[in-house]
Amino acid sequence: MEHLRMNGAYWGLTALDLLGKIDALDSNEVIEWIMKCQHESGGFAGNIGHDPHMLYTLSAVQVLALFDKLNVLDADKVANYVSGLQNDDGSFTGDEWGEVDTRFSYLAICCLSILHRLDKINVEKAVNYIVSCKNVDGGFGCTPGGESHAGQIFCCVGALAVTGSLHHVDKDLLGWWLCERQVKSGGLNGRPEKLPDVCYSWWVLSSLIMIDRVHWINKDKLVKFILNCQDTENGGISDRPEDAVDVFHTYFGVAGLSLLEYPGVKAIDPAYALPVDVVNRIFFQK
Amino acid sequence: MREESMTSKGNSLKLLNEFELILESDPLIDELGFIHPSQFVTLNKEAASSLEHEDANFWSRDHKLAISTDVLLPLYKVAKDAFLYAISQYKRHENRLDASWDESNLESEVMKHSKALLLLSCDFGTAWNSRKLIVSKKQHMLIFLEELLLSALVLSYSPKSEQAWCHRRWAIKMISGKCSTLQDIVGKESELVEKIAERSKMNYRAWNHRCWLVSYMTREQVLHELKKSRNWAGLHVADNSCFHYRTRLMLRVREECCHKLEDETSDGNDEIYQIWQEELDWNEALIKRYVGREALWLHRRFLSLSWIRHFTTNLGDTSNHRVCKSSINADIGIFMDNESRLANSCSMVPDNDFEDFQAQAIYSATYILWLAKQISDSQGIELLEKLNVGSLKTMLNMACPERSSLWDILNG
Repeated sequence: MEHLRMNGAYWGLTALDLLGKIDALDSNEVIEWIMKCQHESGGFAGNIGHDPHMLYTLSAVQVLALFDKLNVLDADKVANYVSGLQNDDGSFTGDEWGEVDTRFSYLAICCLSILHRLDKINVEKAVNYIVSCKNVDGGFGCTPGGESHAGQIFCCVGALAVTGSLHHVDKDLLGWWLCERQVKSGGLNGRPEKLPDVCYSWWVLSSLIMIDRVHWINKDKLVKFILNCQDTENGGISDRPEDAVDVFHTYFGVAGLSLLEYPGVKAIDPAYALPVDVVNRIFFQK
Repeated sequence: MREESMTSKGNSLKLLNEFELILESDPLIDELGFIHPSQFVTLNKEAASSLEHEDANFWSRDHKLAISTDVLLPLYKVAKDAFLYAISQYKRHENRLDASWDESNLESEVMKHSKALLLLSCDFGTAWNSRKLIVSKKQHMLIFLEELLLSALVLSYSPKSEQAWCHRRWAIKMISGKCSTLQDIVGKESELVEKIAERSKMNYRAWNHRCWLVSYMTREQVLHELKKSRNWAGLHVADNSCFHYRTRLMLRVREECCHKLEDETSDGNDEIYQIWQEELDWNEALIKRYVGREALWLHRRFLSLSWIRHFTTNLGDTSNHRVCKSSINADIGIFMDNESRLANSCSMVPDNDFEDFQAQAIYSATYILWLAKQISDSQGIELLEKLNVGSLKTMLNMACPERSSLWDILNG
């Protein structure tokens, strides 16, 4: 798993910040390590010595934002890397090797927005490509004609929210599909017929909030489901009750509780996936 | 202390050599698994004397390879170090444009170690990238096909590996322009997905790959896939991805027909009408046979809505301007009457506690409400009046009282 350590850093540190405990780690040490993962191209790798990818570039930028250290970045250099990955049809590839996916559209748009560099890409084309991935059920897939998936929906709705283009979403139709993800136990799944998983507490819930349909699910039952997934001895959260815990599901569980306004957890922004105070600092403190 | 760590490093290198020799001696290995050392005993007994390779760490026979879980960690570490060293050497010389460097030797080191590493850590992106870098310089058909084999081997132990699926698409895109056997390759890809979907249920990455293939298919292939995937779907009625794949195929057939219709009148519409009608009938039969399956009802939402938009007129619906209209002018009233009847017949919950019947009742009620919402206002209201919304709501509240706030909204 060391190839995606950058994502791990983002998950762990955001969860800590939401719980008000980001000081538990030495920020200088983390930042020094992050900067060692940056390439000449401007992109970041998942770990030292690995190749850069959009996935890790956003995580690196997000972690620096958490620590209020975006100033250590050469923002134009990072923005050049990201904007260089846009294709003629508006879509984005994840790296130089050409795989296209709406997830990469979100990563690019979110990253550039945090860096105040959205003008570096063709936003209109980027939005049109995302809209071309919309399905009859109101959801979105990886590419045009791809199956709807709650994770992809978060990415597409998030990118549309950041670019002020949510009018392209059929909110009632998508809201319907999303709220049907809640199963009897109160947990949410990511696709029809699947078991519930804590990580969808984030993806489904944040999407519902962005399209203003969150009151369509039963919040109390979801809170109970997430709390049931916590290992009360070690503290972490797992995908389902009684499973082994990990940092990925711990972050999504905490983030889900944050969206549900659970006491003691800071508020998280549903589009940027960063604490609201961090997002406010990025956009309103100049 | 130092001596001890030197020996362990030496042992690890030996282990890696051994592993890479096995891979080299049998390039046709098509299945890989990690097993507990105790399972080796059983395997050896079964295999008797026909083993190609056997010791405490590896086992290989008939192009199947097993690795002992005891050596996984040291093997991974040494393979990773060897790979990272090889790729850094390769890149250093590549940048220098040094004419004298032993390119082929460095290349084969990278290829050898990246393969070993990917068989132990399937999503190690940098290792996949290094292969793309070297293979794209060769532009040799056979080498691209070997990449497809490696990816399939990785998928045999990790069927959800995103990087392995992505590597296939990359290789296919590279050969698509210059390969006369592309249609064969696409056909084989589709078979591979089916094989993997059989043992890895509801595998989004696998089905997404199959959907991606559709744009490379000929019309004949699309029709063949439509026929073939029907049997599979009938046996896996909870796998939403397979029904989505059928959606993708059906829309592709319809798109093509629409393009054709622009210049000539053809009987393509009759064919589409028939495909839709057969799918609706088949779906209804499955709904009645397999009670309470969400994927079947969701597939029906797509079928009915696109049927209404394509084959009926005077909808006053502006959202379907991209869909070409059929000359077949079916009656929406009759269609909706049939759908209501089906939904009604599925909404009876017998006096027992079988969850499946409750689920069936909920899916049938939400199906008809969903459809009513999607069609034009006047038609929808007329339909809702016919349906007697009050009784639907009572039923939903009884079957699933904890979601009463949702039922209020959906009915509203």
